[in-house]
Amino acid sequence: MASPFSSAMCTAQQGMCKQCAASITRRTFASLPQNLKSEIRPTPSSTTTFTKRSPSKCQPSRSFASMPKRSAARTVEEVKTKNKLGPFSWQAGILFLLAGAGLTLYFRYEKARMTRLRIAEANKGIGKPLVGGPFTLTDMHGHTFTDADLKGKYSLVYFGFTHCPDICPEELDKMAGMIDRVKEKHGKGVLRPVFISCDPARDTPEVIQRYLAEFHGDILGMTGTWQEVKDVCKVYRVYFSTPPDVKPGQDYLVDHSIYFYLMDPEGDFVEAIGRNFTVDAAAKVINDHISDWKGKIDRS
Amino acid sequence: MGWFSSDKTESPQMEPSKDGGYIAPDRTARAQCWDGRDNFFKCLDKHGIIDSVKEDEKAKKLCAPELKEFEKVCQGSWVTYFKKRRVMEYQRDQTIKKLNAEGAQPMQTTGR
Repeated sequence: MASPFSSAMCTAQQGMCKQCAASITRRTFASLPQNLKSEIRPTPSSTTTFTKRSPSKCQPSRSFASMPKRSAARTVEEVKTKNKLGPFSWQAGILFLLAGAGLTLYFRYEKARMTRLRIAEANKGIGKPLVGGPFTLTDMHGHTFTDADLKGKYSLVYFGFTHCPDICPEELDKMAGMIDRVKEKHGKGVLRPVFISCDPARDTPEVIQRYLAEFHGDILGMTGTWQEVKDVCKVYRVYFSTPPDVKPGQDYLVDHSIYFYLMDPEGDFVEAIGRNFTVDAAAKVINDHISDWKGKIDRS
Repeated sequence: MGWFSSDKTESPQMEPSKDGGYIAPDRTARAQCWDGRDNFFKCLDKHGIIDSVKEDEKAKKLCAPELKEFEKVCQGSWVTYFKKRRVMEYQRDQTIKKLNAEGAQPMQTTGR
């Protein structure tokens, strides 16, 4: 029983032996005088020479070489057992188990890796737009408002400017409709509607307050310095074209992207609602997301 | 007509707010501006003018009172914006008509 195992060991060692032999060969070649060139041809005889010269740890290779002799000397019983088992031997069994264990470990590792990858990707925002992030603005009451203040409730964020000819007023009227429909379904205080001005030069807190009062009393208006507004537009992936230096009283328009951004109570982006949504369709999207939310919602 | 009770055709001046901003036109002012725009566009339709920026001379000649009124009730930037938007919308409608004639199917964009 021990002999096949030792032979397997020797197979492994033979690999080493080849290496030993190779290294010896190299050394030998280096030390060989020029006139002995004919002897170093890679003939079978030279290989044998190197093997014999190799250190003692490579000895089993010789016993491997003598294997056929031993197998020939097997008893009848041994041969019978071999025939009964067919190609299945305990080596094959070990190989099978090792391969199985190896594959299991590999698949477990791969599965864990894929899970981590999926989480990382989800957080990185591959496949879904990464919208939202840190910002600092001033609300229409003159208080500082940051992204942290957005948390706790669902928020509906809209970017616009008060001197907007037609689109913003239409959208803000729609926003008022959405606010009322969400209130009907989920009660007061679940949704925080936010209007962020893209035109900080003209839209001061007072201007925004007067403007929004005509649409819905719940909408909280925001403004800031040009840089602050630029920064918040950047994190919300909003394009806007407000010039950084405008003269007082200058008449101009601001080109900006038109979307409602729905953010969950943890401040993460949920969905963008475009102009093509009717009030009812938009309110349904918001209401469904609020119904899905398992966590806490600040209803104050 | 005649909110400023003067014959000046200047655009409405922006009203400064106390905190350094400029007060935007309110709902009433917007409605007045939109009415002025619609009247002017009706006149343009009557005379077959689409682009009143390119065909400024013609529009000024044929729709003078409407244009004067439009410019009185709307800020300058709004006037230009609405004029350009009219052209853009016309082109959009033409494209849609063309596509429909070619048998294109409208896409469902609202989703839900």
